[in-house]
Amino acid sequence: MKKTILVALLLLGFLVFAIGKEKAKAPPAEATFRMHLASEPPTLDWSLATDNVSIRVIENLMAGLAEYDKDLRPKPAIAEHWDVSPDGRRYLFYLREDVYWTDGVPLKAQDFEYAWKRLLNPETAAEYAYFLFDIVNAAEYNAGEMRDPAQVGVKALDDHLLQVDLKKQAVYFPAITTFTATFPQREDLIKAYGERWTAVEHFVTLGPFRLEEWRHEYRLTLRANEHYYEGRPPLDRLIFYVVSEETTALTLYETGDLDRVTLPPIAIPQYRGRSDYRHAPFLRGYYYGFNVAKPPFDDVRLRQAFSLAVDRTELPRILKGGEIPATSWVPEGMFAHNPKIGLGFDPDRARRLLTEAGYPEGTGLPEITLSFNTDPTNRLIAENIQAQWKRNLGVSVQLDNMEWKVYLRQLKEDTPQIFRLGWGADYPDPDNFLNLFTGASGNNNTHWGNARYDQLIADAASEADAARRIVLYDEAQQILTEQDVPIIPLFFAAQNLLISPAVKGLEINAMDLLYLKKVRKAPL
Amino acid sequence: MTNSPFWKRFRKDRLALLSAFLIAGLLIVALFGEALSPYPFDLQDTQNALAAPGDLHWMGTDELGRDLFSRLIYGTRISMAISLLTAFSALILGTLYGAVSGYVGGRVDNWMMRAVDVIYAIPDLLLIILITVLIGRGVLGVFLALSLAGWITVARLIRGEVLRLKEYDYVEAARAFGASHRRILLKHILPNTLGILIVTLTFRIPSAILAESTLSFIGLGLTPPAASWGTLANEGWKALKFYPHLILFPSLAIFITMLAFNFLGDGLRDALDPGARGRG
Repeated sequence: MKKTILVALLLLGFLVFAIGKEKAKAPPAEATFRMHLASEPPTLDWSLATDNVSIRVIENLMAGLAEYDKDLRPKPAIAEHWDVSPDGRRYLFYLREDVYWTDGVPLKAQDFEYAWKRLLNPETAAEYAYFLFDIVNAAEYNAGEMRDPAQVGVKALDDHLLQVDLKKQAVYFPAITTFTATFPQREDLIKAYGERWTAVEHFVTLGPFRLEEWRHEYRLTLRANEHYYEGRPPLDRLIFYVVSEETTALTLYETGDLDRVTLPPIAIPQYRGRSDYRHAPFLRGYYYGFNVAKPPFDDVRLRQAFSLAVDRTELPRILKGGEIPATSWVPEGMFAHNPKIGLGFDPDRARRLLTEAGYPEGTGLPEITLSFNTDPTNRLIAENIQAQWKRNLGVSVQLDNMEWKVYLRQLKEDTPQIFRLGWGADYPDPDNFLNLFTGASGNNNTHWGNARYDQLIADAASEADAARRIVLYDEAQQILTEQDVPIIPLFFAAQNLLISPAVKGLEINAMDLLYLKKVRKAPL
Repeated sequence: MTNSPFWKRFRKDRLALLSAFLIAGLLIVALFGEALSPYPFDLQDTQNALAAPGDLHWMGTDELGRDLFSRLIYGTRISMAISLLTAFSALILGTLYGAVSGYVGGRVDNWMMRAVDVIYAIPDLLLIILITVLIGRGVLGVFLALSLAGWITVARLIRGEVLRLKEYDYVEAARAFGASHRRILLKHILPNTLGILIVTLTFRIPSAILAESTLSFIGLGLTPPAASWGTLANEGWKALKFYPHLILFPSLAIFITMLAFNFLGDGLRDALDPGARGRG
């Protein structure tokens, strides 16, 4: 027996020795910022990225013509400054001359021209193509009606001067150039590597960080870009861990393995008083969409009934994060927000409409499935709405959930009867929220289109008078949420975060933009 | 019956007796749950979400304000129904397969058992997951998956018994009298495997409960709002840190039921076949 203990002690000694040695060989301490992503980024190609996970990574790898200041106003980034013609239709962007890609090649205005035309090229099939439809001939080129990309109104006049011609004035246009889909791209690399151009070994970027390692379903490591045009960022490394369970992420934060975490609803009341807790409004709407192309939801009365049967005030009670119940679609805190618009909770009217549609008490309805991407909070909401529809309409709805990548593909290829999606502001203007549901929008999964609605959105985009713009948006919102109801707005989100006290200079904004280039942290 | 040696032996095993009462109680809860539960299992009272155990809600409420006690009672029905049904169907399937294989013997036996070996080589959980993925989620999927994965051990057990029993003199005698194969199998051999079958059943049920819970826990089981002990545990573990009551009660239910069935099985085996005691 004594011998065994002796052997065990010896082994333990060796182990301690071995670990000690390992430590001694460890690389010098680095300032590392660690956070979690809810899933693996579906793509890092910013012409194709549409989801917040991909964009979260890309916004730290790249830069655009403009970026936001802390009040969410566009300010110069790669473009040193820009000139607008008096009629508001011609923009001249003057580019900095000290911007280099991570392979040492200088950035040119041609890289913007290429990226924008690639975004618009029908072969790219980019869902965000409609973001540039204010540009002359952009929509026509994207629709395949006009085949010559030279006719599109974006042109590099020389290596550092980019000219953009708009069809008509668009008051928010500089804000659009802050968005990932408008970032420059390298034609030579995309031609050479095809889809593989975003693979770590080929990936060339120009932002504050560069991609160092991508271990799939585990983590992405970004390293400071020594040659970043604003100077190397204070952080040495960013690590994004793929953690799908929010509670797991919270545990990782508590054990000091993450520096920033979004709180799951169940934990919010417990952390509200702590000094590392941050609460902020969020320009993000959460909605259920219908596939209006397929029965039974091709009947507007049924869609209205489903919307009227939801008591939105139950949601903040479940989610506990200061969410705002929504019946309209432009979020609180944004221009043209109007909470009076939309179908409020009215179960009697809902049941009447259900009967009018030919399904009294839900009899005769085919099986209805509500789909969402796998996530505990999405499931919580779905279970609540499922119970509300059962209680207020007598309709039983099945729930189905899928992994994020699969779910996004399903939305495109075979849109579920009812699906959940969120929409976070890409630029803080109502156009961003309402443009989403126009016929031309690649992010409109409802198959709904309304010519009057599209016209209103187009008119409002070039309307300089604020009061008249509000009138246009009010009518558009009425069509969207009262008259045609392709979507059920549910709530406007709020940010509930924990941020490690070791992190300095992390600004929280209502668009959940995470510019990590100014963040500081003591080395680990 | 009360004076039979089986009953005498069984009565002495206090633990097994207690377990039998407990299981009977659970069955009553499963059958008459609606009368016992204070709220409908899927009633959401969002004003009272995540309430701690108290007067209004004995076991507290979940994130959507549903009464955990009522959900646990409802879960008892689902868990018990699924486990009893799958245990029985696995038993019937396995008995038929094993009996035919053992009785016919020879080449047929060889082939049938090799087929069993192939399926046996696949881990249970993997097999169950594959079947649920093919059939789809919900009660039917879980039931079929567990039944199809469960019959194999029964088949092996019964085949062994039948191989042994068919060499007995009384079987020989029946054959000499010209009894048909069917008669020999049903009247002379299978009744003698009944003891083993009952014991197997009591061991299959808890493993079926556990398998159903596992499936529901990893998200391949029932779809909401249906709830079993497994789905309740799944919902509860996320709240482990802040609201431990959500995981405590479902886990306790699973734990106690598993123990009861295992003690009952032990007791039954000892009582039916005293020779087996100590053989393990």
